[in-house]
Amino acid sequence: MLIPLLRRLLLSLSLVLAPVSMVTADTFVFTAIPDEDETKLIERFQGVADYLSQQLSVDVRYIPVKSYAAAVSAFRNDQVQLAWFGGLSGVQARRLVPGSLALAQGEEDQAFETYFIAHRSTGIEPGTELPQSLRGRTFTFGSKGSTSGRLMPEFFLREQFGEAPESIFSRVGFSGNHTRTLRLVEAGTFEVGALNFKVWEKELADGNVDTSQVQVIWKTPGYPDYQWTVRGDVDERFGTGFTDRLRTALLNLDDPALLASFPRSAFIPASNADYESIRAVAEAIGILE
Amino acid sequence: MSFIQLDRVSASFQGQKVLGPLSLTVAPGERVALVGKSGAGKSTLIKLAFDRAREQASTSLIPQDLGLVGALPVFHNVFMGRLDQHRSWYSAVTLFRPFQRDRTEISALLSQLGMAHKQWAPVASLSGGQRQRTAIARAMYQRSETLLADEPVSALDGPLANEVMALLRERFSTSLIALHDVTLALRYCDRVVGIADGAVVLDQPTTKLSEHDLLPLY
Amino acid sequence: MPLPATVRVSLLFLVIAIVALAFSDVAITASNPWRDLGRFFLGMLTPDFFSYEGLATALVRTLAFAFVGVGLGSVCGFGLALLYRWRAVRLCSAFVRAIHELFWALIFLQFFGFHPLTGVLAIAIPYTGIFAKVYSEILDDVNPQAAHLLPRGSGTLVSYLYARLPQCWAQIRTYTLYRLECGLRSSAILGFVGLPTLGYYLEASFSQGQYSEAGAMLLLFYALIATIPVWVRRFTLPLYLAAAPFLLGEGFAIRWGNVERFFTEDIVPAPLRNGDGWSGLQDWLADVMVNQAIPGIWNTLVLTQLSLVATGMLALVTFPLISRHFGGPIRRGSGHIFLVVMRSTPEYVLAYILLQLWGPSMLPAAVALALHNGGIIGHLLGRHSSHIGLRSDAPIGLNRYTYELVPRLYRSFLALLFYRWEIIMRETAILGILGIYTLGFYVDSAIQNIQFDRALVLIVLTALLNIGVDKLSRVIRRRLALQTLPTC
Repeated sequence: MLIPLLRRLLLSLSLVLAPVSMVTADTFVFTAIPDEDETKLIERFQGVADYLSQQLSVDVRYIPVKSYAAAVSAFRNDQVQLAWFGGLSGVQARRLVPGSLALAQGEEDQAFETYFIAHRSTGIEPGTELPQSLRGRTFTFGSKGSTSGRLMPEFFLREQFGEAPESIFSRVGFSGNHTRTLRLVEAGTFEVGALNFKVWEKELADGNVDTSQVQVIWKTPGYPDYQWTVRGDVDERFGTGFTDRLRTALLNLDDPALLASFPRSAFIPASNADYESIRAVAEAIGILE
Repeated sequence: MSFIQLDRVSASFQGQKVLGPLSLTVAPGERVALVGKSGAGKSTLIKLAFDRAREQASTSLIPQDLGLVGALPVFHNVFMGRLDQHRSWYSAVTLFRPFQRDRTEISALLSQLGMAHKQWAPVASLSGGQRQRTAIARAMYQRSETLLADEPVSALDGPLANEVMALLRERFSTSLIALHDVTLALRYCDRVVGIADGAVVLDQPTTKLSEHDLLPLY
Repeated sequence: MPLPATVRVSLLFLVIAIVALAFSDVAITASNPWRDLGRFFLGMLTPDFFSYEGLATALVRTLAFAFVGVGLGSVCGFGLALLYRWRAVRLCSAFVRAIHELFWALIFLQFFGFHPLTGVLAIAIPYTGIFAKVYSEILDDVNPQAAHLLPRGSGTLVSYLYARLPQCWAQIRTYTLYRLECGLRSSAILGFVGLPTLGYYLEASFSQGQYSEAGAMLLLFYALIATIPVWVRRFTLPLYLAAAPFLLGEGFAIRWGNVERFFTEDIVPAPLRNGDGWSGLQDWLADVMVNQAIPGIWNTLVLTQLSLVATGMLALVTFPLISRHFGGPIRRGSGHIFLVVMRSTPEYVLAYILLQLWGPSMLPAAVALALHNGGIIGHLLGRHSSHIGLRSDAPIGLNRYTYELVPRLYRSFLALLFYRWEIIMRETAILGILGIYTLGFYVDSAIQNIQFDRALVLIVLTALLNIGVDKLSRVIRRRLALQTLPTC
């Protein structure tokens, strides 16, 4: 009763705003979780958009979002049809959109890792497990919705200490993304942090890490992470077999520059079942109800 | 039926009695002057009388603080006297672009009061005397036969005050006007009511009074 | 000597703030905060206006959202102001204005997504509530004499048009223009959650340490706000209002299914949705309260009280900067610029900058809130003090400040401060999104975990807390007989 009324009200309002140009219905739109700095994301995914557009002969657009949840919401609301999700955001998205499919993952995503890094001033040295000397330090995750920046490090911290991060550390922060985590620990704003190992390695290779200030102190065991996930209803909108053509296009992506920007060596097939372990961890920690 | 019939009314302000109990009747066709010291309760009486009188018939009021809208021009302040005569759209349009008919009429009225040149000036920019004449014009423009006024010419100089009082006498057949100028009261009214300490202390036809009789009231 | 009531209340709040300080988390965790701060100021001095092609577009979008949002809010607010004597209308406006623009944006993002309607409504809805209240106060203040004098039978609408509106039109116009300035700030920070306004690029530049880019954006923003009287004129305003809806940018078509789903599924508490019944609901609510609401409310209160007192102290220190009783024209001129910069920077942006530079704790948030709000109150007090005439042999310097000016300004000062109490609390809650553990932190976490049911409970609690503080502030202002004009 209230909703039709609300709808009519908003409809008339949106007519007032009608001059606003809309993204047309036949554009295939995708997004990605903002796990890195903005400019890098736009560079990387504009390349993917151009590639897919050429392979699939439809208009393809990338839209940037400001948070992991915004990526999931856009996917759920069908404002984007495809997304480059992390393990956790992918599980969240597929739960919310029945019929959606994990299509492809990076070669490295089968056994992804989180690196715990520490500022040199802490005196914590690399080891084979999370050291007790972490207690009382300041610590930052990446984004709240990140797999490698939040979910898995929290999982391993709980496993090692049997406590919630807030009681292990004197201060727990959420930097927002992996690059930011790196910068904050490097600057000493936080003493310890956890981040996506691929971001660390790429920044290290590009010479963007001051290793006299920060070092890796522990690497987690591997777990499944990033993947391309597509909505189940794209075949209806873009023609039969669209999902298959999309999967093929992603798997065939072999432009070295583009792959290096992710950075992944290649994309390989993935399925929803590959992420069962992530779902179980998220439920255990209470991020998924 | 009487224009004003107050029967043992009283009024208080912040617990302090300022008027009454007091009775006063004004019959149609009577022009009554209300005299007395300031603070005697004249203004309160005028207000009370206005609230009663307008129940019966359209009544014009010129209160002491004039009740003008400073941001609007003289024209519109006068036009407000007849807002009940027009449809809403007509009045709304007039706010932006007055109709010729009303312009002619109001400008004629303002000329009588020596205010024609100020027709489009915002009231806020006028002098005290000009404002007073604007309120008088509004009262005259209103479709009513009766007038209640509280010191309507206090800010006008002698000749002008006389002219305006003559105009009011001509325009309204029935009136109750508070005046502190006894000469004007005697010249333009038929009956004088004197008020002191919230009570009627004098009520006589003008013909039986001289200025001297009124002096004790001040 | 018995202390006057105003001083007793001030001391009480000072004591509360000192206790709050003991419970608060105040620290600079960055190892070299001054180096970053230096880089930031260097960025302001070496602005790079040409780094983004998108910068001009972002400015246009910021303006467009502000104009459409504030315009819509003022029209709806005016309509509600006419009905403000109805209790339902009053409650409704109090509730919608107790929820911050960013929270509204986060809600609308969930079902409108990146449609311009999200940004427009996020501004228009809380502003409607604010306009309704302030307009009704202004209308109530009008001398009723003129309306009383109208002949019987003049229509209600016509009475308003002739006898009420013209008397307060100037005030309404001034206030609406003032709100437009607030609207520009609101519009800019909506970018932080993904709308295409200035905040979007500001966040990107800051998080990447591109201080010259960020500096350019901030400088442009100050210039935009400082020059409002120049470019907003009676003749240009309708033009802007007409053009603004066309400049909101592109978006995605709204899907009504999403709206329906949000209201019928997403915000229904999980236990009810999953059929766990009322006992499940109790456990769920207890969990929300213990783990999110109570810590969030506690931190919000602590930070609010700290910031309130810091704001007051800063305002008292800064008002002489622009008062004509101190210093020459040059000092006053630079004082004006300083205060304009302080109050034009949205507290959200200030807090974001300081958090980046000093690391997370309540300190950057408290400083940001004090700088912004202290700047506003200091500005108003300074202007007010210039109207005070001092005798020609009045003392100078510190004695003039303590004996002549502060005693005369103190009541206005307290009135302004208590008026802003609720505003400071609303901002405190929202700063949680940046990582301080106030209510906004838990709202943001719930949204990041796609738990809109929790987010909504927390937002409603935030609103109730704001309404409570607003009530309390009214009671105090009434007890102390303090009067004030609205500020934003």
